[in-house]
Amino acid sequence: MSSSITAQKRRMRARRKRREKRTLLIFLLPTLFFIVVFLAFPLLSSAYLSLTDIRANIFEAHKFIGLRGYYHTIFKDSFFHTAMRNQSIYAVSYFALTFIGSLFLAILINELQKGIGVLQVIFYLPMIIPLSIVGGIFLWIFSGTGNSFFNLVLARLGLARTPPVNVYGDPRYALFGLVIARSWKMTGFTLIIFLAGLQGISKEVREAAQIDGANFRQELFRVVLPMLKPYLLIGVTWILINSMKEFDLPAVVTFGGPGTATLTLYYRAWTLAFEYWEMSRSAQVSFITAILILAISWVFNRIFRPETAQRG
Amino acid sequence: MTARRQNTRRTIVIFLIVIIAAAVFMFPLAWMLLTSLRPRADIYKDVPTIIPEAFNLDNYRYILSQKNFLRFFINSVVVTSCTVSIVLFSSLMGGYAFGMRRFRGQNMLFYLVTLVLAVPYIMYLVPIFVMEMYLNLRNTWLGLILPYVALNLPWGLLIMRGAFSTIPLDLKDSATIDGCNEFRFVFSISTPILKPALAATTIITFVFVWEEFLFASSINVRNYTLPVYFKFLLVETQGQEWGKVGAVVIFTILPVLILFLIFRNFFIKGLSEGMLKG
Repeated sequence: MSSSITAQKRRMRARRKRREKRTLLIFLLPTLFFIVVFLAFPLLSSAYLSLTDIRANIFEAHKFIGLRGYYHTIFKDSFFHTAMRNQSIYAVSYFALTFIGSLFLAILINELQKGIGVLQVIFYLPMIIPLSIVGGIFLWIFSGTGNSFFNLVLARLGLARTPPVNVYGDPRYALFGLVIARSWKMTGFTLIIFLAGLQGISKEVREAAQIDGANFRQELFRVVLPMLKPYLLIGVTWILINSMKEFDLPAVVTFGGPGTATLTLYYRAWTLAFEYWEMSRSAQVSFITAILILAISWVFNRIFRPETAQRG
Repeated sequence: MTARRQNTRRTIVIFLIVIIAAAVFMFPLAWMLLTSLRPRADIYKDVPTIIPEAFNLDNYRYILSQKNFLRFFINSVVVTSCTVSIVLFSSLMGGYAFGMRRFRGQNMLFYLVTLVLAVPYIMYLVPIFVMEMYLNLRNTWLGLILPYVALNLPWGLLIMRGAFSTIPLDLKDSATIDGCNEFRFVFSISTPILKPALAATTIITFVFVWEEFLFASSINVRNYTLPVYFKFLLVETQGQEWGKVGAVVIFTILPVLILFLIFRNFFIKGLSEGMLKG
């Protein structure tokens, strides 16, 4: 009698287990579907693609060429070299502008007692404007007609040129013009990070420094910035990686030009696939870009802080 | 006394610098807004004044009369809202599984999810493009919604897993004893607790999809979303119609702007988390 009851109990428990397993699967189903079909599978096929010599048609006969494609891209492709060079210049100048700008502003804003909320909103606002739109706004401000805002300012300062300066049409300035546009959009983000860090530094520590006779500069460099270090490192990583993903601005504003002046890695990978139909070579460039990005975040994760993962 | 006066003076100087910086920051958008409100002749004068001599809404009227603009606006709205809904739904489901249930391979699977999210999006583009070409999904809403959901889901999962793991297991147990099944638990009992997490997921996804350009410009070549339409508008007008471009700029950012101003604290916190935390 009692054994049949325990057997019944066991059966019920087994059935409940099965049911629980089924509901678990249902809960995971959407996740599995999207991750497998739209992320894992594309990632693997991209990897395979980069090791072949496929051009336009993915299903035509092709050769598996291993790493030879990478060799060709890295050592023989002069467009890739240009893109790498542009990308480095871009990263350095974008970093300088965004990092210094946002840190400077964050330190100043932190000194104010009132209005921090309003200022946050003002500086953060460009973050929500689509990058393509940002490109359009700056294309107008910097456009090469005499009555564009930039040229009006130059004229007012007595620096007017004939013909008027066309920032995005001049290979000397185009890349920096894009840097300014992106920096305008993104400064608010690092500003918020730095401000959060600054507000976390207790008043007592700074007052103690003041009582010990530190002037503002000493206080800043000896006390505030060292305590801000983790936040600064997040900012550095974020800015560097963010600059590697430049696609929207060259695609909307300059088309990678004039010439190849604003050809970035992303834009190079994109044009290879969607203008020249060189699928394998495009995959190689995107893989190299991805490896560079992962390397940057790995280095900074490893050396400095574990919480700086990045949105692809 | 002197120290205090010095302090006030310093505050005033800092305040002035910050105000000037804020003005510089607001300027590009304000300039576009002013341009969109000017009559065409005013824009193309040799030396236009900062404040327009006359305001009018002709540019806005013109843009609103364009069937194409309205169509692309609707495209953006549909793609964005569908993506947000599916991401919310899927990340609620998955977040529960990862945050409150235990199963074999759980950590492994979640590690895979976070790994996938660190990969630059351009790596997914070509295979997804080819896939959609063969499934005839290009130039459809679904063709953008599916990859967008996939790209945003890892973030939703991350946020939701964190939120679910703060819910005490007792709550679930007592709900189960009261005869509540897991689906009701996830979709009605726990949602009030998850509100901040849901808001953060919504904002991150919304802003991402509304501005997405890489996939939109490659996959949808006829049925644009607003950013892609904007690119072609710039090409078409060749710098001859900045007033109309300005009107499109304002219309495009208006939905995000309104949401941003209403939920600004949620935005700043949620979006920053989304762009950083891994």
